[in-house]
Amino acid sequence: MLSRVAENLYWMGRYLERAENTARFINSATQVLLDLPKDASFGWDVLLKVAGLDERFAARSPGVDEDGIMPFLIEDETNPSSILASIRQARENARTVREVLPMELWERINGLYLYARDNAARARQGRGPRGEVLSGIIGRRESIIGLLTGSMSRDVAYQCIKLGRNLERADMTTRIIDVNSAVRLPRDPALTTVATERMWMCTLNALSAYQMYRRHANVHVRADAVVDYLLKNPHFPRTVLHCLAEIEGCLSVLPEHATAMKKVRRAWRRVEAMQSNDIRPTVLHEYLDQVQSDLGEVHDAVAKQYFHLHQQHDTEQ
Amino acid sequence: MSIELANYPQPGAWDELLDANLRPRPAARLLLEYLDRLGCAELQARRASVDAAIMAMGITFTVYSDAGNIDRAWPFDIVPRTMSSKEWARIDAGLKQRLTALNLFIDDLYNAQKIVRDGVFPLEVLAGSKNFREQCRHMTPRFGVWAHVCGTDLVRDRDGTVYVLEDNLRVPSGVSYMLENRQLMKRLFPELFKASDILPVDDYPTRLFETLAALSPRDGERPVVAVLTPGIYNSAYFEHSYLAQKMGADLVEGSDLVVREDDCVYMKTISGPRRVDVIYRRIDDDFLDPEAFRPDSALGVPGLMRAWRAGKVGIANAPGAGVADDKVVYTFVPQIIRYYLDQDAILPNVPSFMCMVDAQREHVLAKLDELVVKPANESGGYGMLIGPRASREERARFADLIRANPRNYMAQPTLSISTAPTLVGDKLAPRHLDLRPFVLQSDKLHATTGGLTRVALRAGSLIVNSSQGGGSKDTWIVNAEEGNA
Repeated sequence: MLSRVAENLYWMGRYLERAENTARFINSATQVLLDLPKDASFGWDVLLKVAGLDERFAARSPGVDEDGIMPFLIEDETNPSSILASIRQARENARTVREVLPMELWERINGLYLYARDNAARARQGRGPRGEVLSGIIGRRESIIGLLTGSMSRDVAYQCIKLGRNLERADMTTRIIDVNSAVRLPRDPALTTVATERMWMCTLNALSAYQMYRRHANVHVRADAVVDYLLKNPHFPRTVLHCLAEIEGCLSVLPEHATAMKKVRRAWRRVEAMQSNDIRPTVLHEYLDQVQSDLGEVHDAVAKQYFHLHQQHDTEQ
Repeated sequence: MSIELANYPQPGAWDELLDANLRPRPAARLLLEYLDRLGCAELQARRASVDAAIMAMGITFTVYSDAGNIDRAWPFDIVPRTMSSKEWARIDAGLKQRLTALNLFIDDLYNAQKIVRDGVFPLEVLAGSKNFREQCRHMTPRFGVWAHVCGTDLVRDRDGTVYVLEDNLRVPSGVSYMLENRQLMKRLFPELFKASDILPVDDYPTRLFETLAALSPRDGERPVVAVLTPGIYNSAYFEHSYLAQKMGADLVEGSDLVVREDDCVYMKTISGPRRVDVIYRRIDDDFLDPEAFRPDSALGVPGLMRAWRAGKVGIANAPGAGVADDKVVYTFVPQIIRYYLDQDAILPNVPSFMCMVDAQREHVLAKLDELVVKPANESGGYGMLIGPRASREERARFADLIRANPRNYMAQPTLSISTAPTLVGDKLAPRHLDLRPFVLQSDKLHATTGGLTRVALRAGSLIVNSSQGGGSKDTWIVNAEEGNA
């Protein structure tokens, strides 16, 4: 496998996952907003910080509110992490490596891009249309995963895509958990309990995890149990631990993987060591930051080992 | 017909599907009956669905500009161009004969130059050739073959004669559109393929791979074949990627390759360097190797010529093969065929005048308003004079150019190239077209069945290039019951 091709596949996997997870991230925030008690407030600035986009947004627009932020997250092509920009990037990556991908995959990615491009503006018409457009994007993206799963050999190319996908997914899961830190709850303890439960239910829903959580984890939606589940459950495909296991599986097929593997183990240990009895927003936020930086180190090790042979093509975000 | 013909009959041009009395030619009979049954509304509905399919399949060529990357859909006409298998058999033989002779010619030019010594090919033409590469002297690639992939442009004049217009021996493109056009037609008109005997085209990637694999310097193993592309910004990138995909070959850019001290070529892979046996290059000689050619080229691979000369890698087309892709050399092809094969050319050249021959130059200068003048080494229709459509000033400017550098120009009568019915609005109207078959040679010879039909979509236009309002059609070689075309 050419280094350049490996890198493009990896980024294709990442950008597709980023597009879908940004859609999930927005859905999560929207759901939380709808269910918020009257005297609670939502910190849009905190949401941007959680997405890692606060500085970029501040440079562009003064109005930190839903109407300003949503187009920024969905269709703003100057924001390289917006859904549309991510899909365009993924499409460009796919275009340069079509020869190693199943024929139909290109058509699907192209279809996803055309859908996003033609419908992004509709998402501005309100929460209803926005939810429809985002569902359309998530559904098309899921059909791409289905195609990959059903028609691609588990060769090195496949592992590169899967590696990018799982790294991005682990990172985004930590950010989606962190959405709740944007909520400022009222002081009334009775209200708080109900509101907290609703918030975490939204988080689970955004990750399509609610039903599985109910079946396999805890009947009650409690903050500590949800955080524990989304970080450590080994079986649900969006938990951080599950993603790390997938990453390990990919790396084991690739040559010369010792360094990257060591970084994965480190992230793993941090996730396992998490004590869910203390999940005050500030503590949780700081902890999730650390997990994100562990994942960043896994990426660095992968890039150094496999992509460095052609530095002039480095397309880092 | 329930489908209306517009502007038919057209005087003075041969139509590929209809005879002078507007009766279908035998190879087109089933098709036209079918279109007639389908009716106009349905035909337009199918065209709308083909446009959607083109967008979905992402068959686009990309125009990169400051305003962002614009994907333009590949312009495609849904009425195929037909030809009888009997006529095609003769063209097929002519194409193979021509490429065989051209390869003998190139090999001779880089070695003994017998054809020059025997006085058949003038030394001054060779001396004036921009594409003759001194770096290739005294080389004999495998099988003595230099041009492994050739795109031969054919046109039909008003009396039905098929002429060779030019031989593209450098990096001919378009074959992926031939293959995609057929896929589109199968999606669109599956019933028709069942009813008629249309010869398939889809074995081309397999034949191309075999042609390339035969060039491998290492015998016995499955050779590593790579397609070398200038990258995603090249207008033919879609095709480079498409062919690599269909052949199961690696698609590489210059920066993916390195030539090491052992003179072998390696790809940079995630497990370290991997040796490459054959390179199907889609970049021009000039950019191939900055050590041998243009030192400022960032597209090529330093040391590639060294590796090729040492026999450590096969390159298709071989560096220097473009020497025979020259409009003035073209005029000698009939003599070249006679000299090397002792045969008459099966496919005629368009009658041509060489400006370097005094009498012919005077004729050209006197008849500039009737002739098409072409420079020797340009492609894609650049730097041409179309006499009947040029202004007096343009003709005067060209007369000066010809007098200053006669070796660089040749001239041909303006042909009335053939037409075929093309869907325009809700009618079928005649549009001019040509045909580019692709011919392969290494240990074996192979020609595509038909080729890429390019059509000028503007009424009356003779220019089929996609950058200038051209489109394409599927090309059907049909086993028809009746014999003559």
